[in-house]
Amino acid sequence: MRDPGEPGAGPRPAGRSGAVETPHAVDVGIDPAVVDPSQDLAAIAVTALGKTFRPPAGIRELLRGRLTRAPVSALADISFRVDPGEIVCVMGPNGAGKSTLLRILSGLLSPSTGQARVAGLDVESHGWDFRRRVAFVVGDERSFHWPLSGLHNLEFFGALHGYTPREAGRRARQLLGRVGLAEVADRPFHTYSRGMRQRLALARGLLGAPDVILLDEPTLGLDPLGARDLRNFLRDEVIRGAGRTALVGTNDPGEAKSLSDRILLLDHGRLVCETVPGRLDAELGL
Amino acid sequence: MTPVEVDRAVRPSLAWFVRVLFAFARREARTLAGYRVAFLVRGMAFGLSVLALAFMARLIGASSNTHLAPYGGDYLAFAVVGFVVMDFQQVGVSNLSLRVRAAQVQGFLEAEMATPAPAWIVLGVGPVYEFGLAVLRATLYVSLAILVFGVRFPHARLISVVVGAPLVMSAFVGLGLLSAALTMLVRRTNPVAALLGSASLLLSGVAYPVSVLPEWLRLVGRLLPLTHALELVRGSLLRGASLSELWPSIAILAGFAGILVPAGVALFVFALRRARMDGSLGHY
Repeated sequence: MRDPGEPGAGPRPAGRSGAVETPHAVDVGIDPAVVDPSQDLAAIAVTALGKTFRPPAGIRELLRGRLTRAPVSALADISFRVDPGEIVCVMGPNGAGKSTLLRILSGLLSPSTGQARVAGLDVESHGWDFRRRVAFVVGDERSFHWPLSGLHNLEFFGALHGYTPREAGRRARQLLGRVGLAEVADRPFHTYSRGMRQRLALARGLLGAPDVILLDEPTLGLDPLGARDLRNFLRDEVIRGAGRTALVGTNDPGEAKSLSDRILLLDHGRLVCETVPGRLDAELGL
Repeated sequence: MTPVEVDRAVRPSLAWFVRVLFAFARREARTLAGYRVAFLVRGMAFGLSVLALAFMARLIGASSNTHLAPYGGDYLAFAVVGFVVMDFQQVGVSNLSLRVRAAQVQGFLEAEMATPAPAWIVLGVGPVYEFGLAVLRATLYVSLAILVFGVRFPHARLISVVVGAPLVMSAFVGLGLLSAALTMLVRRTNPVAALLGSASLLLSGVAYPVSVLPEWLRLVGRLLPLTHALELVRGSLLRGASLSELWPSIAILAGFAGILVPAGVALFVFALRRARMDGSLGHY
């Protein structure tokens, strides 16, 4: 199923269309005329995706009869695919559009143009089945209830996954053990370290039975050792060990190299290059 | 390591809603357990408000007020019913709106919307939970009035309340959906709920009969669902009015529900779609 784009194997053609990848090429994606997204067996298939934000108007614009400010393009004409079982990193500087792309693929944000399918389902379906099969690991600390323990936080989200209280408790304890938080399961969330919080966010993402995991800067703010441990755990147990596909947003070249099979480089909302870990430094001019 | 994933092909259902509702209630109880003093203070404030009403009733009851005569003359019974029904309006109108705002500010709306639970479950449990609490508060309020202050409802006809309650709730929920949709669209706590609360207190006859108002204000008050809800509930509990006597109020409330619920649902769906377009589910 997967192309032989293993680490160190050199640049590979982007997508199934065979478009040859060149450094800083503007279009490295699949040709929408060639591939019918609904028939594509890719774990993630993105075709000509674009996102434009229209910030709400201020008083001055409203007085001029405008409801929104000038549109801001966050993503433009993005096309790529990820095969089942692949780990692909989306790299780019802050503001490149990584989080926007991940949020569109998670179904939380609607694209302005183009199409995207994840786990075979249209991201615009907003269906419960989509969100059961696609996990977006929301690492935002504010998304947890701080006075509650890690266990109680997971139990609540377990209910949102449809578990009965008993199932949610059992599943939460299993996952807390799996991410190394069993010892602190009953401690309030506000006493957790940054690394513990990231691990709890990961456990929350695994509550369902996702085929595809979307992660946005999973090791942000962690010390080097903690980041390395979490990356190894993610790669070996959460993704490869369970036969999942993952798309990881990061701006850390080390993380991209150690985690992924393939790397997509975004800049100013455009996909400028696709490469493999062994060639990342060269692409970045490091 | 042994995989622990379980493939849960759960479909959206009432059972799922109830599970989330109980999980929500457990979470709230656990959070409250961490704030015992605040909980006690709220309980004390509740008791003191009943006490204040009782003293007002002693003052007003002594003057044999003609405006209260149609309601049996007991001010405490009149006011208790007024504040209980207004509490339901406040819950209906403001809770979903406040929940949307709190979820935006605190950041958990996006995380909850990323789970398989449909939006109607994620956003619906809060208001239902709050309605449950409102029922509990109403029970306590009325029980205190009856057991401690000797309030009686000798003419009560519960059938009219039972028939009218779904209409009253629907009208309040319709207003709540409109208010929550506005909150989602403007990303601020919108002033509709506060304005409606103040207007209702002034014009709907919560604390005094509307007969004390000038005619033109009485007409404005008739535009508010709470005015008709109070007529219905007080008519049933204090006057013992039959369904046929209360038919005008029931018809008007049905009209409010018939307009506000579809309008609220439509605007809320639009606001949710808009939030997905502009990415404001987790922003504030």
